Amino acid sequence: MNSDLRIKISEMVQRSGEGHIPSSYSIVDIVEFLYAKVLKYKQHQPDWTERDYFILSKGHGCGALYAVLHKYGFLSDRDIEDYSTDKGILGGHPDMTKVPGAEASTGSLGHGFPTAVGIALGLRIKKKNNRVFVLLGDGECHEGTIWEAANIGNNLQLGNLCAIIDWNGSAAQLMPREGLSSKWKAFGWECHLIDGHSKEDFERIFARLKFEINGSPKVILAKTIKGKGVSFIEGHGVWHHRIPNESEMSLIRRELQK
Amino acid sequence: MKKLRQEFADTMLEIGETDESLVVMVGDISHGILKPFAEKHPDRYYNIGICEPAMVNLAAGLSKVGLTPVVHTIAPFIIERAYEQIKLDFGYQKLPINLISVGGAFDYAQLGCSHHCYTDVSLISHIKDSCVFCPGSAEEFNTLFKQSYNNGKINYFRLTENPHGIEHDQSIKVGEGVVVAEGSDLTIVTTGAQLKKCYAATEVLKAENIAVELIYLPTLHPFPKEQIHKSLSKTKRLLTVEELSSHCGIYSSSLEASLGINIEKAIQIAIDDFIYGYGTYEEVCERNGFTELNIIKKAMELKGV
Repeated sequence: MNSDLRIKISEMVQRSGEGHIPSSYSIVDIVEFLYAKVLKYKQHQPDWTERDYFILSKGHGCGALYAVLHKYGFLSDRDIEDYSTDKGILGGHPDMTKVPGAEASTGSLGHGFPTAVGIALGLRIKKKNNRVFVLLGDGECHEGTIWEAANIGNNLQLGNLCAIIDWNGSAAQLMPREGLSSKWKAFGWECHLIDGHSKEDFERIFARLKFEINGSPKVILAKTIKGKGVSFIEGHGVWHHRIPNESEMSLIRRELQK
Repeated sequence: MKKLRQEFADTMLEIGETDESLVVMVGDISHGILKPFAEKHPDRYYNIGICEPAMVNLAAGLSKVGLTPVVHTIAPFIIERAYEQIKLDFGYQKLPINLISVGGAFDYAQLGCSHHCYTDVSLISHIKDSCVFCPGSAEEFNTLFKQSYNNGKINYFRLTENPHGIEHDQSIKVGEGVVVAEGSDLTIVTTGAQLKKCYAATEVLKAENIAVELIYLPTLHPFPKEQIHKSLSKTKRLLTVEELSSHCGIYSSSLEASLGINIEKAIQIAIDDFIYGYGTYEEVCERNGFTELNIIKKAMELKGV
């Protein structure tokens, strides 16, 4: 799934010498599905007031966001070509003041999620029905602000908010006693578990979610594979922030074009 | 004398009446005095809880959808603890916020260092598109807040618990200092509560034939460089009295403003380390040089008498 986007991500990283390929590969299927089937937006009017909000809280996975924003018409070919150069608007973490469609300047972990909680509250204050989606890393869930904001989101009953956790196992490398599902449940969030690379699971879960102005916020724990799609990148090794050389790039293309 | 914190609550009620974008969030303080606002605008008042970084971060979301957040709690928690949120979520993202603190410097003297905050003013001043206010009276807060709360910037209001009690002839304007006394022997620059002691010292020095130019700064950022430059061109001697960290406050900004002037001597009364121990506000002032007598002493030292 989404081999074309995965190749695009690796090409951006290889060309510029910057980027997190495995972190982008673990979320690209989710992000693509959101823009293809779930989110309400106008690509030529990114600040359309009736849009749904999508925040990539784990900003280092922005290769996936850029590739998807390009696919759906927010970004130009030139934007992608100029990724991580001084000519471009796209960098190793997204800058919302520059990137059309990026709702928050994330990168420092633990910021995008509380921002999403604030947007959901703000929309409710303004009596608007827009929905808010936010994608977090499981490692990001080590940050204290995630749980502060999760507590607030539940206490304010922000039923217009849906968090998606990229559960690719990064967190457990450091803190294996994670209990991610029971933590979110204990914080009062409506909790769902899916395969983060399964279109069928995406269709099933997003059809089922009910968004309302007052109600439990929702969290989708998406089991993913870091580096999904390329055998030698998958997992938690050296590829986290590694730049492929020409021959590795050929291997990436070969595996993804199979 | 009306407390600034009460004025904060009253001003919220006053502005909230006409401006539907105003949303007030507090970190479990001042909820009693904000009750009238809360009762009138229940959907625009949130006692979020004891989680300052998330509370400040959340305000970025409110700001993003076009609301005007006002976030209030104790200075070390809203500024120092939540500084990365202020820096990134508002500074980097160019989103506006109003931060209102109490307990700046050592206002909570009896509570000790955990509740002191010396670096708040310099931290916020590092963000270019910000305004920092240290009003010393209820009227000053009301005026400055109304002039700036919807200016699209990061506004920080540090509310003293000890209003100075001085009435100004000059109207208060954002970014401008108030010349409380004119003189040619030395310039004293101060802010917030310390105006009271500086004013008293100026009167004593006047009787000793030392003419002090006393400049009071309710706005600390942007710093009124030209005004200070003008005064120092005349006096060439500087004394700053600031309940702030000795780094990057009134003293260093005034010296920056003095570029091109041959300053003869400059002295700073400020906070240069943790203030250990307890006591009342006045007792802590006494131990750390924030007294009328010490101001007079330093002024005479500057004048060489």
